[in-house]
Amino acid sequence: METTNQQTKGFWYSEWAFPLFVAFLSAGIFAGTHLYYVYRVGAFNDIAVVAMLEAGLKGGSFGAAAAFGASFLFARVLEGPLVGILDIGGSLQTGVGIGIPAMLLGAGITAPLTSFPLALLTGAGLGLLIGGVIILIRKFTINSANSTFGADVMMGAGNAAGRYLGPLIVISAIMASIPVGIGATIGAAVFYYYKKPIAGGAILGAMLLGAIFPIATQ
Amino acid sequence: MDTFMIVVESIIIGALVGFGVGAGAARMFHAPNVQGMGAFRTFGELNACAGDPISHFSFGLGFLFNSWASVVGAGALTQDVEHRILPNWAAAVLLSKNKNVEETLHNPKKMAFAGAAVGAVVVTLLNSTAAAIPVSMQLVATEVLVPAANWLINPIMPIVFWMAAIDAGQRTGLWGTVLGGLSHLIMGNAVPGIVLGILIGKGVDDSGWNRLTKTMVTAVVLLFVLSGFFRGFDAALLHSIDVDVPQWLIDLHKFFGSVVK
Repeated sequence: METTNQQTKGFWYSEWAFPLFVAFLSAGIFAGTHLYYVYRVGAFNDIAVVAMLEAGLKGGSFGAAAAFGASFLFARVLEGPLVGILDIGGSLQTGVGIGIPAMLLGAGITAPLTSFPLALLTGAGLGLLIGGVIILIRKFTINSANSTFGADVMMGAGNAAGRYLGPLIVISAIMASIPVGIGATIGAAVFYYYKKPIAGGAILGAMLLGAIFPIATQ
Repeated sequence: MDTFMIVVESIIIGALVGFGVGAGAARMFHAPNVQGMGAFRTFGELNACAGDPISHFSFGLGFLFNSWASVVGAGALTQDVEHRILPNWAAAVLLSKNKNVEETLHNPKKMAFAGAAVGAVVVTLLNSTAAAIPVSMQLVATEVLVPAANWLINPIMPIVFWMAAIDAGQRTGLWGTVLGGLSHLIMGNAVPGIVLGILIGKGVDDSGWNRLTKTMVTAVVLLFVLSGFFRGFDAALLHSIDVDVPQWLIDLHKFFGSVVK
């Protein structure tokens, strides 16, 4: 935003290149969800959001993941062209990576998630569409609106909510077993001391002691 | 065999994602004249590292640990991979050769290719190490992380977003409250409704009731009506107030492939 004297011409800066970049990214994200669907690894999202998809895969109800993902996609596609930055997390990772797959699975369509090439194609198609819509909205609104539609408020809330995860993990670990709880507490404290996110330390500490003293399964 | 497939697919996925993230991140520096892609926090963090390759690298490294723990535990890479690790490491790679940010970090072409290379390595590393994790550690993850994540989704996130909507002004507070409550009823989580409430409230605050904000409200109403219908909320509501669901409504649901009692 601070660089106005720089040259911004040519393919890499053009409007029509944008849908292509979104297509690349969406293809990767959708294929990541395919990887998760087949091997239970590689979904491009936070545990909390992937857990919603997992709830659908386990229990068969994809409603929560579909509605959550779709509304985020909707909100971000409206907001993206207005502020000049498309939020990847809400629009592509949550919308394309979780919401749309949940809708497809809810409707009984599994092919785009079981086949890797088909996943890439589906993701790329969705990306082209989303990128195209954003460029279209941009054409119509960029000069008429001067609002960020509360993007700062949502981002602030998103970051604030993220901070709760660390303490929640420590509490959850303590409820799982005593050694795991001690590990999580020490891990969180060490990460805090070194100014790292405490969620990471809590998880590593819990897993380290959980590997030595496994949680008893009833 | 599984591990081999995960590695091959991860390399392709990582390169695609890194390419898009790199190009989008560089374009953010030219917003709003050029449509960028990333996030405001990504943009702020890239600026905070001030073109110093060590800062960019260590910032990404902190989140690599976080992502690694998360992918081992739950198979989820975390959004930090695309918001933080890939853009910052791509920047670090380019800046280690040339400290001029205008020729490196702000250049979509260079960032796209650096991002693709970094993405292929990082995504493959994260996904392939997760497959080799012992069962006892996976158990910890499910017993510890799943409850914690569930608490975060509900009730922490709805409350935090709700408070943010209320603090942002009376209009966002009102829209956030109404749409948040409805959203929790219909979609099972208040956050999407509150986000839409903030969107509408702030939109009207900043630019009044024009065609754009009216279109948004229409779209939101449509979204609620449709998701309510497809989740069978109409039938559940009638049940809970002791009214029999009329046959035509059951038939209408059947027509769209959903079953209600």
